[in-house]
Parts: sequence; structure tokens; C-alpha cells
Amino acid sequence: MKRVPFFNNPVLRGQLPAWRSRLVLILLFGGFLTLAGRALFLQGISTEFLQQQGERRYERTLTLPSTRGKILDRNNVVVASSVPARAIWAIPDDARSATPQQLAALAKLLDANVADIRKRLADEDKNFVYLKRQVPMEVADKIKQLALPGIHQQPEPRRYYPDGEVMAHVVGFTNVEDQGQEGVELAFNQHLSGRPGSRRVIKDRLGRVIEDVQAVTLPVDGRDLRLSVDTRLQYLVYKALTDAIALHRARGAAAVIIDARTGEILSLASLPTFNPSERASWQVSALRNQAITDTFEPGSIMKPFTAALALDLSRISPNTTFETGNGRFQYQGSTISDVSRNGTLNVAGVLRRSSNIGMTMIAEKLESREMWDKFTELGLGQAPQLGFPGAAPGRLRPWERWRLIEKATMAYGYGLSVSLLQMARAYTVFARNGDMVSLTLVKRESEPTSVKVFSPKTAGLVREMLEAAAGPDGAKLAQVQGYRVAGKSGTARKIVDGKYSLSRYRSSFVGFAPVSDPRIVVAVTIDEPQTGVYYGGAVAAPVFSTIVGGSLRLLAVQPDAPFESTVVAGLQEPQR
Amino acid sequence: MGRLSLVLAVVLMLCAISLVTSRYQSRQLFIDYDRAQAKARDLEVDWRRLQLDRAELARSARVDHAARETLKMIAIVPERTIYINQASVPAAGAAP
Repeated sequence: MKRVPFFNNPVLRGQLPAWRSRLVLILLFGGFLTLAGRALFLQGISTEFLQQQGERRYERTLTLPSTRGKILDRNNVVVASSVPARAIWAIPDDARSATPQQLAALAKLLDANVADIRKRLADEDKNFVYLKRQVPMEVADKIKQLALPGIHQQPEPRRYYPDGEVMAHVVGFTNVEDQGQEGVELAFNQHLSGRPGSRRVIKDRLGRVIEDVQAVTLPVDGRDLRLSVDTRLQYLVYKALTDAIALHRARGAAAVIIDARTGEILSLASLPTFNPSERASWQVSALRNQAITDTFEPGSIMKPFTAALALDLSRISPNTTFETGNGRFQYQGSTISDVSRNGTLNVAGVLRRSSNIGMTMIAEKLESREMWDKFTELGLGQAPQLGFPGAAPGRLRPWERWRLIEKATMAYGYGLSVSLLQMARAYTVFARNGDMVSLTLVKRESEPTSVKVFSPKTAGLVREMLEAAAGPDGAKLAQVQGYRVAGKSGTARKIVDGKYSLSRYRSSFVGFAPVSDPRIVVAVTIDEPQTGVYYGGAVAAPVFSTIVGGSLRLLAVQPDAPFESTVVAGLQEPQR
Repeated sequence: MGRLSLVLAVVLMLCAISLVTSRYQSRQLFIDYDRAQAKARDLEVDWRRLQLDRAELARSARVDHAARETLKMIAIVPERTIYINQASVPAAGAAP
């Protein structure tokens, strides 16, 4: 074959019209221009959108769940803790293909009936239906093994309360979103709840995370909270109150133990109670913490404060005598009566016999304003600074509006209202040397603050009187073997339809022990005992005695009262 | 000249391959790290669960029941207790 040089190609020999070459040139340029334009469009204008689309295909934002902090008691026993659980949810449209057997198996695992689950899956417009929330992991794993179509799982935390109803009022509970709703869970919600973190990652084709794109925002777990409450004492109190309610067929009961030295609340129980893990069983009335949110007229347990004020101001001395007569006394047009005929009494006797007439006479030596000031100093009429939800301030009317008869009734605890916790706190003035300690529900690391209310001398005098009031001539059922106890019983009539009831009472006892060096202040109140006996000294005092005896033993406090020992060191006990 | 470019080409190839392997290794290590972290989380959860179980088994109500009902134990009272440092107990008549 003959080689034809390029320039000598016969094809080129024919003269072509000039527009053809120009057309090719223009078309080529046009093509390039389109490409450049497209490139500009992709790179310049829609770049962000495209990058997003790309990232969406390989980048994922994962939320890193945080865990709510644990609640511990003072000995680091867990009283509330979160563990992972699963929410079971469904896409109704996809779940249609599930066989009846499969649904029956699911219903059995979820502890629900099949019809109920079917009804939930019936609404096919929705594409997300919760079937059950907070399902424990073991159950969730079994559901996963069923491999049901359209049924999915989502991790979520579930809170457990091992102590159940014993601690229910103190600890409270959270809602399904893990937010505190009551008690400590609500009061310290901020402290306990964590902050979820997030991380942006690249996943490979198998769904494995291969790289962090940005710095990881680490989840912040909620901090643990150590309460001042001791679960052992709490159970002791719970048991004593449960027994007392059963014995007296009472409507409710509450008790508080306060550490007299540190102001820590060692126990706070209220009955009836509820089980925080069984929502279905809750009754609204049982959710209320009667020791903190309920106020009542204290009755005789107020008397020591009035007496102490009069002693402090030297209006009376321990030797001043009061003629209480035959137990009925006309004062300002009303009759003030005592339970029994008491004759002539000194202050200690007035407290021991719980004489209303004697208190009226003491109140006569006091001014309304002085009493109001002292009661206010004792924290009455103000909510305790606990941060606890629903802490009631009680009611203490301004002194300007007290009538004379009201001043007298206030002296023995009628005409004002207090919560049990306020009363227990006020009694710390006698357990300490006249100063009232600040309370806390959280374990205290530093020294507590206290306010001075009475002089140490007065506090000492009243302490002796209260010991006598809980002694053989007073509420002797309050006594504890081996320990000197002091306290005051109170029986208050309840107001029903605006009148003082003759059949509904509230029996209380507030005291402290051991008297030689008080460690605990215990306040007990029993609401509406129904079996005929209702005096605080008969109903509340035995409960006080049980609680004090058990608590001091658990706290390993040495006895300060003499007792007959039946065991001797070094001797072998006979086998029982 | 030709030899130098050959050497450079080989070096370039080596660099490229080492980049690929190190990249691969880093991803493998990252996956391991991730797995270890997941495991740490699981262990933490187990620890919480065990703590709860312990609290559940050791709760006062259960212990009280076991002691009183099953083991027939009775609460200790001071008269049956020997206090080691008994000296500070007042001898008699402290209560009025």
C-alpha cells in the first residue's frame, strides 16, 4: 500500500465550504462551555448540597447516652440506680405481616393481651407506635430473637429502687423520660441528670465506625448523690410505723430521725406509702410525704418552747408554782381544761402533766410579740431550707392579730400549724445547748450551721424537765432500756368541718436520746388512731421507744442509764 | 537521569503503599478502640446491675425477715450486752 502523506491526502483535495470548519469549531467551544458551566454549577453553586448528600451517605451523628447518677444512702448502699432497658416500638404497616402466633408470643413477653397490641397496630397511618417502654434487657433480647416484622427496639434507661416502699417518700421517682418527679429525684434533678454527648463518625460499608470526623462531645454522666439517710434506720422506722398503724388502725403515720450533732436527717418515713416501681398501684394520697408536706396543729409538743421562753426571759423560775385547780379554768370567756385534776404544779410539773391551764398561766406572763419572735426563730411559719419539693411552711399568724385567748392556746400548741419535720428540728434546741441546727438530706462533710435560740442554761433546764416528762410519772411508755430519754407527748384534736373533733386525734411524740449526750432527735406522729386509745403517751410514745432503742443500738451508742446486766464478761453463756 | 527517575518512581510507589497500609491500620486500631470502649460501657452497666442486685438482696426488709422468721433471731438488748468500755456508764440513779 502506498503511503499517502497527511497533507497530500486526497480527501483534503476537495474544496470544502469554510462554514463547516467554523461550525465544528463553534460546536467544540460550545461543548467546552457547557462542561465549564456544569463544573461551575457543581463546584460553585450546589457544592454545599452535594457535600451534604455525600456526608449523609457515610457520616453519622451518634448520640452518646449519659446515665443518671445513683442515689446512695450514708453507708453507700444504692437506693436508686439506672440500668439500660429497651423501648419496644412498631411500624404498624410493616407489622401487618406478623402471624397470630408471633403476636401471641410477643404479647406474652410484654405481659399484655393480644387484643391490646392488635389495637395499637391497627392504626396504619402512624409509622411509630410504642408498644411498651422500659422493657428489661432479658425480655428485650427474647423479643429480638422472635424476629418479628416491623417491631423495633430503642435503648432507654430504667430506674430501679431496690428499697421500694421503705424509701419511697425520700427518694421519690422519675418519669419515663428519666426526669425527677418527686422527692430527692426532683429536688436534686440537676445534680443527678447527665448531659448526653454526641460524636460525628464515618462508617464503612459494614456499618463499622472507622473514624471520628469532629472532636467527640463526651457525655457527662449524672453525679452520684449521697444522702444522709441510713437505710437500716429507715427500715426500723418503717417497720415501727407499720406495726403502729396495724395496732391502732390509724389512717397514717410519719416519723423523722435527726442527728442532733450534724443536723442530718437519718430517716424520714411516711405511711401509707407506695412502691416506686409499680406505677399502677399508686394512690395519690399515698404519694404525699406527710412528714414534710402535711401540717397539723402540734398540741402539747409545743409546750416546752413556751416554757423555755418564759424561763429564758426570767418571767418564771423552775420554782414558780401554778395553781391549776380542779382541771377547769375560765379564761377570756372560754373554758380551758386539763385531762386530769393536777392541783399545784411547778414548770416541770406543768410539762410532765401536760397542763393546759398551767401553760395559760405561763402565757399570761409573756407578750404575743415575744412568743411570735421565738416561734419564728424556731423556724415555724417558714418552709425548712431543704430544697425538698412541697416542704410546707406551716402557719403562724402575725402577733398583732392574736387575741388573748389565742395567745394562751398557742402556748399549748393550738392555733398554729407545723410540719413534723419543723417540730423535730425545733427540738434540736433542747438536744443541743439551746441552738437549732440546720437540716440536710445530703451527707454533711462540714460542720453544720446553727442559730442560737435559748441560753444553754435554759436548754439544760428544759432538757431535765423533758426527761422527767418521759419518765415514770410522765409518758413512761417512751422509755428505752439502757438509755435516758427525754421528750414530750402531744395529743391534738383534729379540726373537722371547722370544729374540733371529739373522735379524730393526732398523737405525737417528740424527743431525743441519750440525755447525757443527745445523739438523735426523733419525732413520731400517728394520724387518727381508731382503737379508742389516742393519747400521744399511749400511741406515739411506744413507737418512739422502739425507734430510739433500735437506732441507738444500730448507731452503736453506749447506754447512759443503769440497767441490770444478765451477762457477765468472761462467763460462757449457757447454750440456748 | 533515567536511573534517578526510576529510583524516585520506586520511592514514590513505596510511599503510596505505606500510606495505604497506615491508613488501613489506623482504621483497624480505631475499630479496636471503639470495641474496647463499648466493652468498658458494658462492664460499667454490669457493675451497676450487680450493685442493684446486691442492694436488692441485702435490703433491710429481706434481712429482717430472714433473721426473725427463718433464723429465729431476736434483737439484742442492753442487758444482754457486754460493753467493753463500761467505765463511763454512770453507776446508778442518773435518771430522776
